[in-house]
Amino acid sequence: MDRLIGFSNLLAAVPTAHQLTHLNGVDILIIVIYFAIVIFIGFYLKGASTTSEEFFMAGREMTAWIAGLSFVSANLGSLELMGWAAAAYQYGILATHWYWIGAIPAMLFLGIVMMPFYYISKTHSVPGYLHLRYGEGARALSAITFAAMTVLMSGINMYSMALVMKVVLGWDLNFSIWVSSVTVAAYVALGGLRSAIYNEVLQFILIWVGALLVPILGLIEVGGWNNLKAQIVTNLGRTDYVHLWSTLGHFSSNPMGVHWTGIVFGLGFVVSFGYWTTDFLVVQRVLSADNIRSARLAPIIGAAFKMAVPFIVILPGLLAITVLPFHLVGESVAVATGQHSYNEALPLMLVRYCSPGLLGLGVTALIAGFMSGMAGNVSAFSTVWTYDIYGAFLNRKATDKHYVAMGRWSTLVGVMISIGTAYLVQNAPSIMDYVQALFSFFIAPLFGTVILGMLWKRATKQAGFWGLLAGTLTSIGLWAWVRLDPSALRYVALSPDAKDMAENMYRALWAWIACVIVTVVISYMTAPRPVEELEGLVYGVSPLPEEHDEHWYQRPVVWAGVVFGLFIVLNVIFW
Amino acid sequence: MRQEISIWFFCGVLLLSYGLVIFVEGIWELFHPLANPPVLYNLHAAIWWGAFLWISGLTYTLKFRPRRS
Repeated sequence: MDRLIGFSNLLAAVPTAHQLTHLNGVDILIIVIYFAIVIFIGFYLKGASTTSEEFFMAGREMTAWIAGLSFVSANLGSLELMGWAAAAYQYGILATHWYWIGAIPAMLFLGIVMMPFYYISKTHSVPGYLHLRYGEGARALSAITFAAMTVLMSGINMYSMALVMKVVLGWDLNFSIWVSSVTVAAYVALGGLRSAIYNEVLQFILIWVGALLVPILGLIEVGGWNNLKAQIVTNLGRTDYVHLWSTLGHFSSNPMGVHWTGIVFGLGFVVSFGYWTTDFLVVQRVLSADNIRSARLAPIIGAAFKMAVPFIVILPGLLAITVLPFHLVGESVAVATGQHSYNEALPLMLVRYCSPGLLGLGVTALIAGFMSGMAGNVSAFSTVWTYDIYGAFLNRKATDKHYVAMGRWSTLVGVMISIGTAYLVQNAPSIMDYVQALFSFFIAPLFGTVILGMLWKRATKQAGFWGLLAGTLTSIGLWAWVRLDPSALRYVALSPDAKDMAENMYRALWAWIACVIVTVVISYMTAPRPVEELEGLVYGVSPLPEEHDEHWYQRPVVWAGVVFGLFIVLNVIFW
Repeated sequence: MRQEISIWFFCGVLLLSYGLVIFVEGIWELFHPLANPPVLYNLHAAIWWGAFLWISGLTYTLKFRPRRS
């Protein structure tokens, strides 16, 4: 779900990039303290990660709060922060959809409906669940694509982050890449998932305390939310930057070029549910919970915090529209003219309000965001590689100690591949766009395969594999069609006025529908699995363990209702 | 025998350290104002934000400090 606006253009221009600010001794001290604590945690937890269950699943001992914060933190990378602040500057409050309807319903669905099946099946991964439900074919397809895409994405994020550090602080690219990646490799290889989760919680807190001052001081400067809205309308001469839903009646009536059907069905249903319920990068955090109640509560806690993130991401982007004394431009224009780009919105706001010490805290928050995202990627890669590729197909009978060693080594290898990808992107920037597109190909159909597997006992092994493959090929085919013939956009996104984001949403929707149709048709053409084989995997086949809460208000479903109610209220307020 | 150190203790130590550094820097700047101050510098955000971090950090550090079991 990373959102980068034209970073590939920035890549071409890096040698001439200007420097926004510089850090002084206090700022450096803040950064050094952070790295010292992170490394200490890795060494401290090394002794607690000696079995595979401890190394890959954090011993399944995490409380609901720790798993929940880690769940949302693994997604809260620095490029996510800067990319969406840039999107808010460019498209207005519409960018909030990616945090609300594009996340909250899916996270609550994961906690209430899907988590019990992931948890009681005792699977170690999402491909592992596919193995239990559909057999080796679906698992292999899912595991190989996930492992490859995860380390490639990690490398791209690494390079983009190093680039931002060069533009903002003038840091050398090699320095940023190697220091951050070696640190992540050290603490994940030493302490496994437990270390990654501990650091993600730490990084989550850091992101908030580092970024929160910007919206607070920004609102003071503009005189509150109502004044901010009025100034945006005055500055831009249009009202569609401050409404969430009322401008989505037509593709051309809002700055993003999207229609409400794309937001609701494409983003809110397929893309969001695909990412938050089947991307192992985030699901792994919840699987580490200490019991089924914690596993159900963790995504609900994560959803509550996710709903608040626009305050530190979207609001700074909106504030930048009114308080910055110059206009931000797209990357290609910025490269040509030397102006500041949209992607610099958040760093520019940090520099605007933060004195020494606070600036170091803000920069550390960005670094922490990057490292939490990368740790999430490599720990998920390590688990899927060890359990679902190496342990499943290459060496089935190794000892537990051997798999832990493989987990540590694959963490290091994953980081090295990421570094290699980072340098590859440096020389061929267009790779970034292709890899990001590739990653999006697998998410939507995977959701179709998993949700049918969980809710429909008639789905068969063959149908699971072919449905997943058909959905993926549909996504790739539609993407290639629009690249070869741009006029095809009117068919893929249902309107010639649709822009990139609308295309992504509709492509995901068609891929999901193709996956579901093929899965259903082939299921009826093939023999069903015996019901007893589906116990613990499918809704209605096996009773779920009962949870005994002393009071009604302790039930996960009650808190999910509270979060969902707040989600509805916020959408109405900003309608 | 010591129990495992809680993640909240680490969070407390981090906030405590940051609060101290930022608060002291804010006090220093009261007597040595910056030549190129940021916007709203007159609000002395470093002092109150540093104090907030320090108090939060102290609370978490004490509440979740490792104890012998």
